[in-house]
Amino acid sequence: MKYSLSTRFGGLIICAVSLSFTNIASAADWLTLQGTEPAGAANPVNIWGFVQAQYQDDNSDSNAADQYVPAKLIGPDLDSQSQFNVNRARLGVRGVAMPLDSQINYFLLAEFGNNGITDPENSSAKLTDASITFNHVKGARVRVGLFKTPGAEEGLQAIHVFDYINFTNVTNQMLLERFPNRRYTPNVGPQTITPENDFNGFEESVGAFRDVGVQVFNTFKLNNGWEASYAAMLGNGNGLNFGDNDDNKELYLYVAGEKVFSGKGPRRNSLKLFAWSQDGKRTADFTGDTDINGAPIHNPEEYDRERRGAGFKYLNKPWRVTAEYMEGEGMIMQGVHNPSFGIGPCQGNPTSTAGCHGAKAEAKGYYVEAGYRIPSTNWELDARFDNYQRLDGDKFEAEYDKLTLGAQYFFNPRVRVAFNYEISDAEAPNFDSGKGPNANLDGIENRFSVQITAIFKQ
Amino acid sequence: MKHRYLSISSIIFAAVLTLFTSTNALAEGEKEFAEHKFVLQISDMDASKQTLVLNVAANIMKHYGPDKADVEIVAFGPGLRLMFEENANSNRIDGLVNNSGVRFAACGNTIAKMTKTLGHPPAINSHATVVPGGIIRIKDLADQGYLLVRP
Repeated sequence: MKYSLSTRFGGLIICAVSLSFTNIASAADWLTLQGTEPAGAANPVNIWGFVQAQYQDDNSDSNAADQYVPAKLIGPDLDSQSQFNVNRARLGVRGVAMPLDSQINYFLLAEFGNNGITDPENSSAKLTDASITFNHVKGARVRVGLFKTPGAEEGLQAIHVFDYINFTNVTNQMLLERFPNRRYTPNVGPQTITPENDFNGFEESVGAFRDVGVQVFNTFKLNNGWEASYAAMLGNGNGLNFGDNDDNKELYLYVAGEKVFSGKGPRRNSLKLFAWSQDGKRTADFTGDTDINGAPIHNPEEYDRERRGAGFKYLNKPWRVTAEYMEGEGMIMQGVHNPSFGIGPCQGNPTSTAGCHGAKAEAKGYYVEAGYRIPSTNWELDARFDNYQRLDGDKFEAEYDKLTLGAQYFFNPRVRVAFNYEISDAEAPNFDSGKGPNANLDGIENRFSVQITAIFKQ
Repeated sequence: MKHRYLSISSIIFAAVLTLFTSTNALAEGEKEFAEHKFVLQISDMDASKQTLVLNVAANIMKHYGPDKADVEIVAFGPGLRLMFEENANSNRIDGLVNNSGVRFAACGNTIAKMTKTLGHPPAINSHATVVPGGIIRIKDLADQGYLLVRP
């Protein structure tokens, strides 16, 4: 077994663990909310789930040849610029294995919607969570199985309380992992509507911010309303797949401090500061080599994949403010139509001195968002700005900016409708307009979305 | 004359017996002069009932005031989990005991049964008094004029 240890946040985690605590938190942060059940107060079987139905309309322009790239189409199908979709339909069960023993909890969740989890594998359902948590050791709960990895707020939070419809570009492109195909797969070029070929060149489900492995974690109550959380996880680094595709293991580290003002659950009033890192390797064949007879040669290599970030979330109704900065090294995706992770002259050549291959490239990005719940109404106003610099520092660097204006109407705490209008801009700063990557980036424009979310539980 | 003597003796004996019985049945913390007496039963597996019974106790105290209301929560069967030491509601139990004088009774029969299942006795909240039988405790309190409520 091989894995590389990152000490970047090791000190912070040691501090968090060694802090004196007065009591173990009952339910607070995402780690606790998603990974544990309240002691002595959980049902053996809690059935729950949610449905999200949406409509999206994209106004992006085609390139000069009347062709489109995936960013201008509606996913996961990527066949058109407008679409009704049931993008998430999840059914789960969670609870305690035995009512008298609160120390062992379980969590099971399956996806039946049409999205990056089910579409690439043409499956109608896929298990997204299957985990068991052991609470026997004070200060060190242990969770094993398939579950959300400790990391960025946008990925770690429960998606059914996410305040926007689409992810930020940095989360969607840099964090939401697309795993390399088993064999070298050439890129899919821009296509007309309706595309002749499947635009999504990846054969497996997106990572969905999940992995199979073991996690040690806990949340401690400190003085003056503060709580401290930590998590350290070792996983396959292979997303929703139950098994591993190589011997490399992924190390996830997470630490957070949270000042709780009032309330409980996912929308409690608090100020949370957090930092995280993810460190692993991927094995992939990106070279597309052939022998003298023209037959493909399978010669996979290992590539580093590192991600890290830090941010805060402040929620004190009616106000909410969140900001997070993230950066990544290695395995920088160049779009779902480019499964070789390279673009331009670097496709099939990760070692090219010209750069432009994501396998060894860097990226960074951030987002800032705010929400305001209008007092004495069921309306909330939201605004978010996100920036993503793909292939950072490379000649083929592409910069994405997106401003999302949103509104949510809450029929009740569990049913709401969200309206989003995204104003997007993308460009490759080292190329003139219409040249190089800008031939397709120039036309990326605005998108309107509406989505209804209904949550149910026993 | 003899008949009259027996009658007076009987009245005195009955009065003493009644006084003894009522004093003996008064558990520690019972509010003898409370005007509104409730015994709340929790025997359900459903965890939401735990929150409900604690809410009911709190609402009674809020309405009548701790000096005029006497509340005892009796747990047996699956409902005994409310009185586990580790229970997530233990802070609320602390508050109801310390601020309002709410009492908690845990069924000894249920504890014995759970001990057999677990292989060890469950750790019970230190605020709870173990009684021989939860249903017997409810009957005793009902006989003393407590109103039985099962939220």
